[in-house]
Amino acid sequence: MSVETGSSTLDRLWAPFEAQSGSRRSLLLMSPLILFELLIFVVPFAMLVRISVSEQSQSLPYAEGTFTIASYLEVLQSGLLQGIIVYSFRLGIIATAVAVVLATFYAYATWRADGLLKSALLFSVVLPLLTTLVIKTYAWVPLLAPNGTANNLLLAIGLLSAPVQVVPNTLGVVVGQVYIVFPYAMLAIYSVLSTVEWELVEAARDLGAGRARSFFEVVLPEIMPGITVATIISFAWSVGAYSAPALLGAGSDRPFALEVQEQMLLNFNWPVATALSTIMLVLMFVSIVVIYAVLGRFGGDVSDAA
Amino acid sequence: MSNITLEGISKSYGDLQAVDDVDLSIRDGELLCLLGPSGCGKSTTMRMISGLETPTSGEVYIGGENVTDQAAYDRDTSMVFQNWALFPYKTVLENVAFGLKMRGDGTDERQQKARDMLERVHMDGYEEHSPTDLSGGQKQRVALARSLAVDPDVLLLDEPLSNLDKRLREEMQIELKDIHKEFDKTFVYVTHNQNEAFTLADRIGIMNDGRLVQVGEPTEVYRNPTNRFVEEFLGDTNFVAGEVTDVNDQYGRLSTEFGATIRVPAADAVEPGASFTVSLRPEFMQIRRSNGANEREGTAARADGTGGDTVVGSVENTIYRGSSIRYVVDTGGEHLFVEQSVTDQTGIEEGEQVELGWNTDDILVFRPDGSRVRDE
Repeated sequence: MSVETGSSTLDRLWAPFEAQSGSRRSLLLMSPLILFELLIFVVPFAMLVRISVSEQSQSLPYAEGTFTIASYLEVLQSGLLQGIIVYSFRLGIIATAVAVVLATFYAYATWRADGLLKSALLFSVVLPLLTTLVIKTYAWVPLLAPNGTANNLLLAIGLLSAPVQVVPNTLGVVVGQVYIVFPYAMLAIYSVLSTVEWELVEAARDLGAGRARSFFEVVLPEIMPGITVATIISFAWSVGAYSAPALLGAGSDRPFALEVQEQMLLNFNWPVATALSTIMLVLMFVSIVVIYAVLGRFGGDVSDAA
Repeated sequence: MSNITLEGISKSYGDLQAVDDVDLSIRDGELLCLLGPSGCGKSTTMRMISGLETPTSGEVYIGGENVTDQAAYDRDTSMVFQNWALFPYKTVLENVAFGLKMRGDGTDERQQKARDMLERVHMDGYEEHSPTDLSGGQKQRVALARSLAVDPDVLLLDEPLSNLDKRLREEMQIELKDIHKEFDKTFVYVTHNQNEAFTLADRIGIMNDGRLVQVGEPTEVYRNPTNRFVEEFLGDTNFVAGEVTDVNDQYGRLSTEFGATIRVPAADAVEPGASFTVSLRPEFMQIRRSNGANEREGTAARADGTGGDTVVGSVENTIYRGSSIRYVVDTGGEHLFVEQSVTDQTGIEEGEQVELGWNTDDILVFRPDGSRVRDE
């Protein structure tokens, strides 16, 4: 590793690191980040876990200094809370599958487009990121409501005979959640796709592979790292979805984030809220390891993904 | 039969005319090189044969069949790419078997064929390697095997050796020639390197600015170019401009930029007062020590009064080029260069007065627009 010569300040700053062995040097360089992680994530999470093994209290959010795993048993035995966990994962799987498939198509189209069309396609993806989550999620209500734009349009051209209840409904939640994660999924896939050489597709076609075949044989293995990242982002976000279910869902659309909020702020039952959070975190962690392992098997060196 | 006929094919991208009305007949089983500078349209022409590009106008026939509207995957052509375009997430064997897999061959059959083909290009033993682990030359062999494995009617090679170093490139040229003989297929080979074209080609098609300038056997295009571009592109040469002062029944008399008057052939095609450029190939000139005579006109003086076939000057530079020596000679402001085999051992050094001589019939004469003046 070398540092640009001529900048003596940099040289002086670098000198203490230069003396260290490789692993100690990287540890030193990472230390600000480690400190940040420790303060912002590890310490609060440890506090959260500590609360989750405290006793519940009538007058306080939780009983300090006590120890019990009662809240975990309560979460795992309650049919209501199990349903909430299952709902969260179902939403996560469906929204992720839809978002990643759409994002792959969209990224491919953007990759192949050029000039103004390419800029327009890219800009359209980034544009929603410039608006607040709540506003853009709410925007679906007038669009998808029973007397909203979509229903009126479909009724007018005769494709529907009666309005469809999309919002508030689970379908609306999925639409809203896909819309939220789509830009991130698309950009993750596009960033990898844009480095793929078109010549590979040409070589495949030249050797007799049709359009679809050349995509699955040549392009897909190449962009697997991007798809893996897109899947993990979409999945983690959708399982923990809050605004789409809250704004577009019916009463039965109840993912764990809403439940945690209610337990904390309305019921003042912090042990159950934190126990549910901890269980979800463990389940998410396991899911992500599984996604990583499964998607990594299909070509693509996942470790290349940033 | 896998002869190829291009009928008036053109390709334009917006305002850019990449290929302009090219007519070309490629014979069954021949190795034709498309040669030209970068951006001359040679690769685009080849891509239109492969089906990776569709002509803006014109027709492409392979084996007598009009394939203009056929997609690349429906054509019996196979292309070797400049950057090899090996599939990085497939093994070497999977790469070579890919075309056979697309064709629907069974696993055992295609793997056997792929192994045979790898053995033919001396890449046996690398079946399970990833292409990313291979050197440039090895990748080239695998790419060649992958294209040959599908047993195409036509093999298209797009500057396949340009990323290899000189020694490896020359080795691969010989091997490609052997493979061409062995497989007895039509090869179309795109290159910007005239030596490569001369080494490989049965015939060379020279392209410039999207147009096909000349097609012919290597000796034909070298000795008998249709215009100045071909003469210049196929090898180093001295261009000398001048004006015709006099014509007799056999030779014209050209008053040149460097003061000397020289004889030019094609007397019946040149007329007094017209400007021409002549090409003096460095290997067609001889260099010898001048016997002290300093007057330029003296060397040009001839009994028949038509000008000479020698010029005097002083050696400004000698460049050792391995098998030959190049002398740069100052002939009164203009520089000419001559190439002599090192075995000639002239012993001429820088600063010496020399005389350059040539055979008048070896001179090629070009009009200001670049077209060739032919001796009728």
